[in-house]
Amino acid sequence: MRKPSRLDLLQGTLDLLILRTLQSADAMHGWAISERIRQVSENVLQANQGSLYPALHRLEHQGWIKAEWGISELGRRARFYRLTAPGRKQLQQEADDWTRVAGAIGKVLELA
Amino acid sequence: MTLSDLFLRLRALMFRARVEEELEDEVEFHLAMAHRKHLEAGHSEEDAARLARLDFGRVGSVKEDCRGVRGIDIFETALQDIRYALRSFWRNPGFVLTVAGTIALGLGLNLALFTLFNAYVLRPISIRDPYSLYGFTWTDRQGAGHAFSWAEYKQFEKDNLAFSEVAAVQYIYTRVDGHAFQGQLVTGNYFQMLGVTSELGRPLLPEDASAPGREAVLVLSYQAWQSTFGGRADIIGMKLMVRGFPMEVVGVARKGFQDISEVPRDFWAPVTMADRLQDGSDLFGVEHPERLEIVGRLRRGQSVSGAKAILTAWSQRITAQLPEDHKAAGILLRSKATSIPLTPELLIVFSPLVIAFTLVLVLACTNVASMMLARAVARQREIGIRLSLGALRRRLIRQLLTESILLSIPAAILGFIISRVTIDASIRVMFATVPKDMLELIHDVPRPVDWRVIAFMVFATLASALLFGLAPAFQATRANVISSVRGEVTSDLRPVRARNALVIAQVTVCTLLLVACGVLVRTTMAMSAFDIGFRTNNVIAMEVAANSRRQVLDALASDPEVDTIAAASAIPLNGAVRTMTIRADDGPAISTAYNEVSPEYFGILGIPILRGRNFTKQESASETPVAILSAGAAQSLFAGRDAVGQIFHLSGKPARDVRVIGVAADIVTCCIPWGKDPALIYLPTTSATSAAVLVHVRGEVEAVRHRLDTRLAELAPGAIGDIHSLDQYRAAGMYAFRAASMIGAALGGLALFLTLTGIYGVLSYFVTQRTKEIGIRVALGATTRTVVGLVLTQSLRLTAIGIGLGVGLALGVSRLIASNLVFMRGFDVAPFAAGVLLVAFSALAAGYVPSRRAARIDPIQTIRYD
Repeated sequence: MRKPSRLDLLQGTLDLLILRTLQSADAMHGWAISERIRQVSENVLQANQGSLYPALHRLEHQGWIKAEWGISELGRRARFYRLTAPGRKQLQQEADDWTRVAGAIGKVLELA
Repeated sequence: MTLSDLFLRLRALMFRARVEEELEDEVEFHLAMAHRKHLEAGHSEEDAARLARLDFGRVGSVKEDCRGVRGIDIFETALQDIRYALRSFWRNPGFVLTVAGTIALGLGLNLALFTLFNAYVLRPISIRDPYSLYGFTWTDRQGAGHAFSWAEYKQFEKDNLAFSEVAAVQYIYTRVDGHAFQGQLVTGNYFQMLGVTSELGRPLLPEDASAPGREAVLVLSYQAWQSTFGGRADIIGMKLMVRGFPMEVVGVARKGFQDISEVPRDFWAPVTMADRLQDGSDLFGVEHPERLEIVGRLRRGQSVSGAKAILTAWSQRITAQLPEDHKAAGILLRSKATSIPLTPELLIVFSPLVIAFTLVLVLACTNVASMMLARAVARQREIGIRLSLGALRRRLIRQLLTESILLSIPAAILGFIISRVTIDASIRVMFATVPKDMLELIHDVPRPVDWRVIAFMVFATLASALLFGLAPAFQATRANVISSVRGEVTSDLRPVRARNALVIAQVTVCTLLLVACGVLVRTTMAMSAFDIGFRTNNVIAMEVAANSRRQVLDALASDPEVDTIAAASAIPLNGAVRTMTIRADDGPAISTAYNEVSPEYFGILGIPILRGRNFTKQESASETPVAILSAGAAQSLFAGRDAVGQIFHLSGKPARDVRVIGVAADIVTCCIPWGKDPALIYLPTTSATSAAVLVHVRGEVEAVRHRLDTRLAELAPGAIGDIHSLDQYRAAGMYAFRAASMIGAALGGLALFLTLTGIYGVLSYFVTQRTKEIGIRVALGATTRTVVGLVLTQSLRLTAIGIGLGVGLALGVSRLIASNLVFMRGFDVAPFAAGVLLVAFSALAAGYVPSRRAARIDPIQTIRYD
């Protein structure tokens, strides 16, 4: 078994963020997703924009999002992603998990 | 793996360029958007581009990560491995050719064997739904099948059991224009049941067989139409004489259909004609002769085990009233989907052949494995460096295996060609060596290269690639990183040990094959020389139809070249034996072979009457209840007493008491491999009533046979069935063994050749590897003799171990075979001695060249080498 690295942890979080972002829109391209995450998190989550793409492709392989080519708002060809039904379910579950863990961590921190 | 994942991976694999382009576009788009944003924020063109890239991270590694998600890197590395391997092959074509050639030899032979096996045993017969077709018979307590009478068949048809359709068939043999014609008498629904249409005219129809005696029509096979009648278009309506009875050709069956029996048939005729075409009791008469086979289609949804239960119950019910001996003990339900059904018995009979062929392939693989090992050791340095640079061992093994599989591709192609050539050549050899009279009975069956043959080829190729590639791959990558980089490959002796093991294995297999082949040849020789108890020279035997018998006998009697005429109900050595049960007054019942003969029979064949006397003419004519026993029969019936004058009971139809008037010497009735009959009785008959006539002739027997055949055919068309010299019968009976000896000799020779090259390779390598050591020895005063001795000792040591193992195995195998064949009883030292000497001598010869090379090593040069 591989040891869970820092990257894995980040990936998990990134997946959740992507899914959540796509939930509130119909279809978005990579740039828009990256901008949206940055805006909503008020510039906190801004790390490497590039790492977004392997994550997007992985989610696509898992069948949680679907990609198709379309024309962007500026008339350029772009790859748009949208959430699929299994993706919605996955988001629900991951969000629940996250909240639970975050809550637990919060409680531990309060105690300490 | 989800469905979308699979889909995306496949897409990535098949449209690699396009997927790659899309990734490029996507990243490009992102960068363009980021660039625009930074421009709008007031940065300069140059800064905007730089910032966009900075935010994005390393484009190359992002793309690499994206590719990783696709998960097709395994193919990409495979592609790398293939390119790498091809480059190294290109530099060393001799190696590739040797490997491919060696493997192809073994592969080709096995593929040839499988192609034949497929043609007879696996390939379904070309009829509608072959897999629902079954042959049915009930069996007695000995497990022997039973032929059905017409009444039994009718009952079976009426009771309408597990089958949706049933038909009855009977084999019939005749000669048309001097050609052997094998046919099938069938019920009228036969062609409909099989779904066989006609090429020309019409198939047989139910109306043709509506009542006994109807219709005098027949359907030819396409093959017979082509070969015997040259495919002439006016064949329909022609009259052919079938056993002396004119039959009208109404059709030619569709191409590719040659009946569902083991041997292809030339024609089909209505079973209702049986009485006209056959001597003896009427199939539809009161005697209810049992001659029919039943075939049928299992009902849709009917399981085989269920059908067996139903049919067993039926057979037992039908035979309940019969005497104990005639009651059904079990049933046989045999698939008719292929020419020869795939049964455990068949596999047992076939297994020695399969094992011998497989061993040759294994031998070829060991040779190549040994070569691969030598190559891997030579590449130890390269492999060591790669390992020390962090290459995974798994990855290196995969690369070496890729090479093996690549090497096996030309081997497979070459092997395929060899298999075709081998099949053609062996069929040609068979036609050239088979006894002449057997030729016309041999039909070539189609031997297509279908998916089964291809699948076997792929499987055998991959298996041999693994066999010759796996061990060297593991061995080579086990190298000690540090020493191999330094070039100290000889410090690891394990590859040498592995190669020695391979040589021992080769010698073992080779010895086993050679000894087995020797045993086979010796057996065949013993059989050829075996005293069968009677003279075969200048005797011609023929089967004569009852309606023309008088005419034929008169013609024979007046023939100037015919000396003596004898009659018999069965021709000796024709491969069949008829048995009956007899019992002495106070003794147990014994099963014995029997023959009904005229008094001349003993003279014509030179069978001595040991005690008592021959039949008289009167006894023959009146079929008096007297008998002559063979010495074996006399011994088992009346042990220790004089058999002549004794009475025994014969439980045939009719049952009667028979008096013994003489005792004759033992002979072989059925087949030479079975040896002399343990018991045989002769009953009197005359040439007027018996089916076979034997004549002793003057002059060259084959010429006389041909002349008689032609003359009798003119006199009474179709009246003569088989007509052969007894020498031909004898040769035909021996042919299987002669063929097996030829195959054995070919395999043995090949095995010897492979072993020879194997030993040569290993010893050459041994000498190269120990050049330094030998050089030092020579420098210290070792003579040529000691050096040659060093190498030869090495060779002989391995050979001795191999021979020991091989002889042990061969002993076991020959004991196993001996239990089934009369002629292999007892230990025959000759084939063992010959096999061992041959292998030992070859090993010495193979070792000689490398040993001379070792002797020529110049000590100065080798010591200076480092």
